[in-house]
Amino acid sequence: MPDAIAWVDAIAPEQAVGVCGAKMGRLAELRRAGVSLPKGFTVTVEAYRRHWAQAGLSEAVGAALAGLGPAAGSAEIEAAARAAQAELTSREMSAELAGLIGEAYEELSSRCFDINVPTAVRSSAVGEDSGTASFAGIFDSYLGVSGPDRVLEAVRQCWASLFNARAVAYRLRSGLDHRDMPMAVGVIELINARASGVAFSAHPVTGKTDRIVIETSWGWGEAVVQGLVTPDHVEVGKADGRILDYQVAAKKVVSNFDYAVGRVIETAMPARLVDRRVLDDEQIAAVVDAVRAVERYYGYPVDVEWVLDRHRREGEPVCVVQARPVTVVNAAAEPTPTEWNPAAMATKYVFKT
Amino acid sequence: MATVIPVDEFISDEWYPGFKPGYTHAPWYVDPVQTFRKEDEENFWFLDFHWPRGLTPMGLIWNEDGYNWASQLAAEQMPLPPGRGITCRLGGTHTYGSALPVNDPREIGQRARRLEHSLPPFLQNFDTIWGQMREEVNESWDYFRGVDLSKLSLEDLRENLIQARQYHKRAFEIHFQVMYPLLANYVGFYSMCTELGLDPGQIGKFLQGYDTKIMETDRELWRLTAAARTAGLEQAFAAHEADGVRAALAAQGGPASTWLTRFDDFLQIYGWRTEGSCDIALPSWIEDATPALGMIKTFLQKGTDHDFAAARAAAVEEREAAVDAARSKLTLDEQRLFDGGLASCRAANFPWWQDDHNYYIDLRISLPMRWACHAIADRVGAGHPDDTLYLFWEEIMDVSSGRRPFAGLRDLVEERKQYFDYWLQRRPSMPKVVGTVPESVNDPILIEIFGLNSHFLRAVEAVGSEGTVKTLTGVPASKGIGRGIARVLHNADELHRLSPGEVLVCESTSPNWTPAFAKIAACVCDGGGTLSHAAIVGREYGVPTVTAVGLATLLISDGDEVEVDGSSGHVTVLKHAGNGRTKD
Repeated sequence: MPDAIAWVDAIAPEQAVGVCGAKMGRLAELRRAGVSLPKGFTVTVEAYRRHWAQAGLSEAVGAALAGLGPAAGSAEIEAAARAAQAELTSREMSAELAGLIGEAYEELSSRCFDINVPTAVRSSAVGEDSGTASFAGIFDSYLGVSGPDRVLEAVRQCWASLFNARAVAYRLRSGLDHRDMPMAVGVIELINARASGVAFSAHPVTGKTDRIVIETSWGWGEAVVQGLVTPDHVEVGKADGRILDYQVAAKKVVSNFDYAVGRVIETAMPARLVDRRVLDDEQIAAVVDAVRAVERYYGYPVDVEWVLDRHRREGEPVCVVQARPVTVVNAAAEPTPTEWNPAAMATKYVFKT
Repeated sequence: MATVIPVDEFISDEWYPGFKPGYTHAPWYVDPVQTFRKEDEENFWFLDFHWPRGLTPMGLIWNEDGYNWASQLAAEQMPLPPGRGITCRLGGTHTYGSALPVNDPREIGQRARRLEHSLPPFLQNFDTIWGQMREEVNESWDYFRGVDLSKLSLEDLRENLIQARQYHKRAFEIHFQVMYPLLANYVGFYSMCTELGLDPGQIGKFLQGYDTKIMETDRELWRLTAAARTAGLEQAFAAHEADGVRAALAAQGGPASTWLTRFDDFLQIYGWRTEGSCDIALPSWIEDATPALGMIKTFLQKGTDHDFAAARAAAVEEREAAVDAARSKLTLDEQRLFDGGLASCRAANFPWWQDDHNYYIDLRISLPMRWACHAIADRVGAGHPDDTLYLFWEEIMDVSSGRRPFAGLRDLVEERKQYFDYWLQRRPSMPKVVGTVPESVNDPILIEIFGLNSHFLRAVEAVGSEGTVKTLTGVPASKGIGRGIARVLHNADELHRLSPGEVLVCESTSPNWTPAFAKIAACVCDGGGTLSHAAIVGREYGVPTVTAVGLATLLISDGDEVEVDGSSGHVTVLKHAGNGRTKD
């Protein structure tokens, strides 16, 4: 019988996506890219299926969602989704499964030499980033979850988010079966972030693939990913790693760990950090190395979420927490000419024919 | 809705009193020179800055042989994919130009493919090609210099005039055959740089700091200025108007005579140039040295010498720094493209050629025709040497062949001189553009030389509703901020009105305006771009310059106090001249 728990550093990469869902599976695959990854485990698709069967959710959720046609109105969907989620959150997890997750969490804490290590608990549904459907941002993620009870609760919330109104509506519109989308959940150490950000191995606007674009701010990456802060913007030549442009932004919001609540929350950026340049040249080079490695692995332009550990020393890699190939940007870009062609340039820019 | 500026006030059949063209006197390539007709309103016409006084009948040969023959021929030969060169219409004695578009997409595509074959070899071999062309121009120049017109019969003078016109025409074929490809390459490079995210204000710098024949002349003028100071001639220059300086120096004798000899030696090398571009009505410095003496007079007022070596070194240093800064922002792939474009633009350097060719062509090429016309005037007993410049080609051919006595044309010549004067007075109030303002213009000459970029076009559209204007905007052409009293000049021969520290406001500048840049605080032009003459010279001299302001000469009054920001492209009127407004 397949395991309910799969460790990021142990799962066979070729099985990872099937066992761990899209997001965690991809992360585990990146071992092959040779980048530094956070420690962590996945509550697998199998664990979700077991819970689903033991708790009789198939019938309960099926009943809640029965009668929703493709033309269902938003109020109708809202009500049905709420009913389905209530079924999920009201059913107890089996002691066996809860025990396995709790044990894995203890193990993660010990691997991190910590007690109740703060974690990121992330939804990782099967097919959520597939070529034809993107559930980006629809499912829940929790940052800074600490202690076994909170971790268990966060896992159940992630499961329940599979039936939030947006996800239900999206599946209805796309004609997907609600039961065909099992949900794994990742539990990974929360890197103590000095700075984090995203990086694209193709320019997100022009689509040109000869430069790497980095956006970064202090602290955890949520504020950057969700667009709550205007990040520093860095452009680097892909071929030679030269910094082409560094624009320091006024960063007014920071994702910050609140020890009292045990969560990462958004607060006002301390005044001294607002206008301060986030990354030095060596750190930029480390981000670029990671992005290049991931791009090499996929063979496509990629979009990488990374974190710079507070305790990282010069020469050490940055930690990659998420990565995916970006296939759409490339189509928009016209091929960059490789040598000066005066007639072509004049025709393009002067004669505009 | 498109902005249309009516052409009605210029509609006429007549070029000048007593001349209705039969279009048999001069061949054209695509479209002939004409007066305005109502249907011309559908096209877009700009008032050409090259001839602020207007053109005499003989001067209109430039339009026939320059725009309507040579530019159209060059546009077909290169070819220019979307255009057939430039045509013109006459508003009295003044020239309005317009692009001749190619509209059929299939033909444009074919022309673009032909250009792909013709352009690269031209650019790669530019040095050799331009060298040969210059040699051809010089060889004929030497021929015309060598002819003693006083020994020729009237019939031979006629023959000489025909040769001189052919020479003039050929020189402008060369002119446009070079100008179109160089400009197409430059504007392509400029636009590519902009797309790569480089600061447009920096791009012009990449090609600056190369010595030209015109700069050589300016250097010599400053050497003469220093010599005049050493010889203690400042007083004589200060006490007389420019046109009285020579007599005063001659009367003074001693060091003044020595200096005059040196000045005359200078003229023999650099004095074969007129005070404006390609106009037969203008004397050379040899004929009338007042402009050169006027330059030296104002240079002396400045008190210190212009350090050309330092300015040149600074321009070169700025060029290299600008290139380094630009390259640092580019990826390796982009650098390869940029380096290729830069190398191509340096091998066939438009800004450099734009200055250099004026010495060989625009500023002297009308002189052989002028000499022949003057000699014919003398021979047929005209009252004034310039009388023959008021004849049309057919008329002077008839007069010089003896078929028609000059006496019968005397009244007409007088009438035409009055017509010329009337239109000279009218010029400052003439619309800068007429017809239908287009979305964009795609002839590189019109974009770069006349500044008909989108900025200019939008300014022309916007100005209709405005009353008094405080801030004007144009193309930032040479960095820095300059403040001073505005001198709105319509003519290079008004340059003596400029005092050091004032702001030059004009339609556009050409090489004969260059020396003024040593003394002005800033420069504002109606037309132009980052590469027009004023932009280039502004950068060489470190004078804040804004081009393509659109209607600066109409909206800024002589005597206004203005601030020119050559980095942002803003021109602000700080204080109006008040009741001392002088518009004309």
